[in-house]
Amino acid sequence: MKSIFKYILKNALRDRLYIGVFLALALAFALSIFLGNTMLVEQKQSSAAFIAGSCRVIIVFGMILFVCLSVARAFENKEIEFILSKAISREKFILGYLCGFYLAALLILLILALAIFAITQSNLAATFAWLGALSLEIFIIIAFALLTSLILKNPLAAIMASCGFYILSRLMGIFIISLQSTNNVILQQKPAQIAIKIISLIFPRLDLFAQSSWLNYGISDLQILTTIGLQSLIYIGLLLFMSFYDFKQKQF
Amino acid sequence: MNREIFYHLNSSRFFFWIFALIFCCQLFFSNHFHGVQAKIEIVPPAPSKQSAAILSFGDNEFLFRILSSRLQNSGDVFAGFVSLKNYNYARIYDWMTMLDGLNNQSRLVPALASYYYSQTQQIEDVRYVIKYLEEHSEKNIDANWWWLFQAVFIAKDILKDLDLALKLSEKLAQNNAENAPLWTKQMPAFILEKQGRGCLAFKAIRNLIEQSENGARKISASEMEFMRYFIKDRLQKLQNQKFNPDKC
Repeated sequence: MKSIFKYILKNALRDRLYIGVFLALALAFALSIFLGNTMLVEQKQSSAAFIAGSCRVIIVFGMILFVCLSVARAFENKEIEFILSKAISREKFILGYLCGFYLAALLILLILALAIFAITQSNLAATFAWLGALSLEIFIIIAFALLTSLILKNPLAAIMASCGFYILSRLMGIFIISLQSTNNVILQQKPAQIAIKIISLIFPRLDLFAQSSWLNYGISDLQILTTIGLQSLIYIGLLLFMSFYDFKQKQF
Repeated sequence: MNREIFYHLNSSRFFFWIFALIFCCQLFFSNHFHGVQAKIEIVPPAPSKQSAAILSFGDNEFLFRILSSRLQNSGDVFAGFVSLKNYNYARIYDWMTMLDGLNNQSRLVPALASYYYSQTQQIEDVRYVIKYLEEHSEKNIDANWWWLFQAVFIAKDILKDLDLALKLSEKLAQNNAENAPLWTKQMPAFILEKQGRGCLAFKAIRNLIEQSENGARKISASEMEFMRYFIKDRLQKLQNQKFNPDKC
């Protein structure tokens, strides 16, 4: 397990994940501070929201690319067969990969949270909660990207599927509002309602995770943290066991 | 075979002439459509509630800040700046109410309305600004008394609609915010005085003094001094008009 962690972190360095992501984050920070300072009032709050929103997108898509391309390359170079030829179970292999990817993301997140706190001077507890929620959101995305990379093998398909999953999960809030709305003619039809209901049952509620408003106004409803924790626990478990099942079926 | 050799020897020349022909087409096309300009609207229609919910991807605060920046920079059409009188204020109002739906705690949109959009040369347009400020403040007058005061100020000094200013000041006087100064309560009296309705202004201030004397409201000595001076002054005026102040 430890050697897999090291291997993933080395992979991150080799693939220039840190350089690429940190350069993009630095650019996002600079643009956010510039844009925030052009606002008539609430410059700091505006910068905080711009930084939080843009950095989340950069990290999520950066990690999707890193996970999908790393796994595809590992398949291509027969690295997976090599690792599995050692005394390591397939479950441990997946757990090692998942935790390794998460650790690689966590290193970026910690530095990001420190930078956000230093620049925006947001509430410490709120920044910590935002960081925790964002790390769980990224954990779910990493687990999904790993699962699709194992199932699909084609990196482009895995990247597209992971991006689609993330976008749909972030839209879950509007899907649920649409279900309760009576204004939309299309949504009043039974098949559309059933389709949306099924999607909203399968996909996680990522729209609740890591709200930028927490950095500006704190968390008004602490219940949301419990909801996020439970959602993550269930969904990471679901994706993990799906990966175990799929990987067990694979013949090398 | 001869044809293949001919193609091999002349194809590059052939391709060059096709390239030259297409290039001429491009020049002709560009020249022909030079007059067609991109349609840049000063204030485009505000996104609907559903569109905003979709665009936010669950992060309303991020979208709120992005769209606020868009609203603040409306009129920057990359060809100079546009005078506020040319803005469509009905759309500005839609934008502001839509943004309030994303975040009604922020001071950003009311500040834009009060300090920027109220400066239009088309005076009647400030009614939209006042309407927005009134609706924004009504949700929580204690937290938003300052913006309601801005609405009173705009109605009184820019729109010069004292009836509207009075209506708003009466709402403003209902605030119970600890940080709101006493003049927020006195505001209806000031407007009434401006309208020349000294009797009602006198009554409004007398009510405040009575509240202080009953212990319902704490009023500082300097404020009391001012109000006593106000009452004394109005009493004098009313007596000069041979009017009985008790009938106020």
